[in-house]
Amino acid sequence: MRSVLCYGDSNTHGQVPGGTPLERYGPAERWPGVMARELGAGWHVIEEGLSGRTTVRDDPIEGAHKNGRTYLRPCLQSHAVLDLVIIMLGTNDLKARFNQPASEVAMAMGCLVYDIKELKPGPRGSVPEIMIVSPPPMLDDIKEWRSIFAGAPAKSRQLALEFEIIADSLEVHFFDAGSVVSCDPLDGFHINGQAHASLGRALAREVEAIGWADDR
Amino acid sequence: MPDMRFAPPNPLRIADRASGLNAVSVRSYNERLVLSLLLQSKDITRLEIGERTGLSAQTVSVIVRSLEQEGLIAKGEAQRGRVGPPTVPLSLNPEGAYSVGISVGHRQVEVVLVDFVGTVRSHAVLPFSATAQDTNHPQFMSAIAKAISDLPQHLHSRIAGIGLALPEDKAELELTPRAARERFDALQDEVEREIGYPVYVQNDIAAAAGGESMFGVAKNLSDYLFFYLGARLHSRLILNHQIYNTAAAVSYDVGIMRLEQQILKQGTQTSALWERGADWPSFGEAEIEWQRELVEQMRSSISALKQFVPISSVVLSSYAPHSVCKAICRDLEQAVPDIAAVAGNIEHSPKAVGAGSLPFSSRFMVG
Repeated sequence: MRSVLCYGDSNTHGQVPGGTPLERYGPAERWPGVMARELGAGWHVIEEGLSGRTTVRDDPIEGAHKNGRTYLRPCLQSHAVLDLVIIMLGTNDLKARFNQPASEVAMAMGCLVYDIKELKPGPRGSVPEIMIVSPPPMLDDIKEWRSIFAGAPAKSRQLALEFEIIADSLEVHFFDAGSVVSCDPLDGFHINGQAHASLGRALAREVEAIGWADDR
Repeated sequence: MPDMRFAPPNPLRIADRASGLNAVSVRSYNERLVLSLLLQSKDITRLEIGERTGLSAQTVSVIVRSLEQEGLIAKGEAQRGRVGPPTVPLSLNPEGAYSVGISVGHRQVEVVLVDFVGTVRSHAVLPFSATAQDTNHPQFMSAIAKAISDLPQHLHSRIAGIGLALPEDKAELELTPRAARERFDALQDEVEREIGYPVYVQNDIAAAAGGESMFGVAKNLSDYLFFYLGARLHSRLILNHQIYNTAAAVSYDVGIMRLEQQILKQGTQTSALWERGADWPSFGEAEIEWQRELVEQMRSSISALKQFVPISSVVLSSYAPHSVCKAICRDLEQAVPDIAAVAGNIEHSPKAVGAGSLPFSSRFMVG
């Protein structure tokens, strides 16, 4: 049995577009659930999605617990042994309060990779496979969120390339979620049920493509 | 001291993705390793690449993604096996890179355009002019330009370079028009300047062997003795995928020129001998006698070599018809029972196609 941790924000949590963090798609509809079904019985899929989660930043408004870096370590240890860690974060770092360019968000993604490599929660204390997933770009119309996310849609379109550069230089797996899904127009930055299904399927294929020796 | 982990990332592989092939300097050893493996075996999975190169899954993933985005490799249809997850086979993309190969022989110049897996996309033969004064140099340049223009404009950025196979064999050089021979040393510079692509030069016999190793029957042979049947008979030794290259190699007068002399004694027409891709008519007794001499020479080369190196595979490459080469291989296997002799499958222009493999091996493969 292999374990994969899906570490993300509201789009991993399964928040319904235009809704609140409490309005959530069901476990089987969220992308980790879809991916679990696609991967089959050989995989244990762990969901770790928190609305508002950033890569490495304490949120001065929503709270320090939104910091993806501080929670990552206990999270990895709680769920070890992990064969694979998938991280899909970055959108919340683009909030106006953080004032960060896409490249800084990518650097922060790199931090998380280093933390995983340091902690070695993989089999026999090894570094697990790590996959950075760039979130689908935000739409231009983000409704009532336009002040909170001022300037974010343009930056969000740069995340895929910046993340890929980081994934490349740190030699970890990379997938661009924007290559298979778009955000829902209801709020412009959450993905709907259909997108969860497509993303779950696409990521299952990516996970399989890594190649797992004793599967054959 | 800053924590170097957080120095700016180095976007090596991603930098100039949009502009066709990446610059030569950024091709890492590991990328070459993966490309070399894909050249040998098509339809392999990332898992197999990892197993056969010793690279980690993450490294393979990064390299495969970047080569795929560069268009050098392509994913096949996912295969669903009886057990386990579906696997996605990877192969070189034939359209990922092109090169021009030029071979200069004593009778003619051949220019081919080959794709990344060695398929000949265009082919031109240029006769040497009979008079040494007229070197037909402009035609030579325009034949190269033509090979390039045969490729649609948008693919020109995918041309890895031009390979030039030049004769070094003394006896063969004697046959080449003097004025042409004098230009050989300058050719690399001239072609580079006039055509504008990097030019890679190699001895013509070594180039032909390289062509068989990269695209032909020798793909999966790490050690073999290579014979090239041209005007004369040439040979090279390949050990652990490395061609031992020397200008001092001896050639023997048991080649097609020898056959021509035998036939002329009979008073028969010989023009078919030098054509590309044409079957030979039966040349009767002269051909049988020639083939006997040729096989005897090959047998003696093999047995001389066997004192030093165990040889079990022989590859015979030639522009002579495939049926002729196969017959020679059969005779050779009878004469030396413990070897396997195979006729090369780069027909018509093995030297030119071999020349075309040079830019690929220099830019994409491990040495």
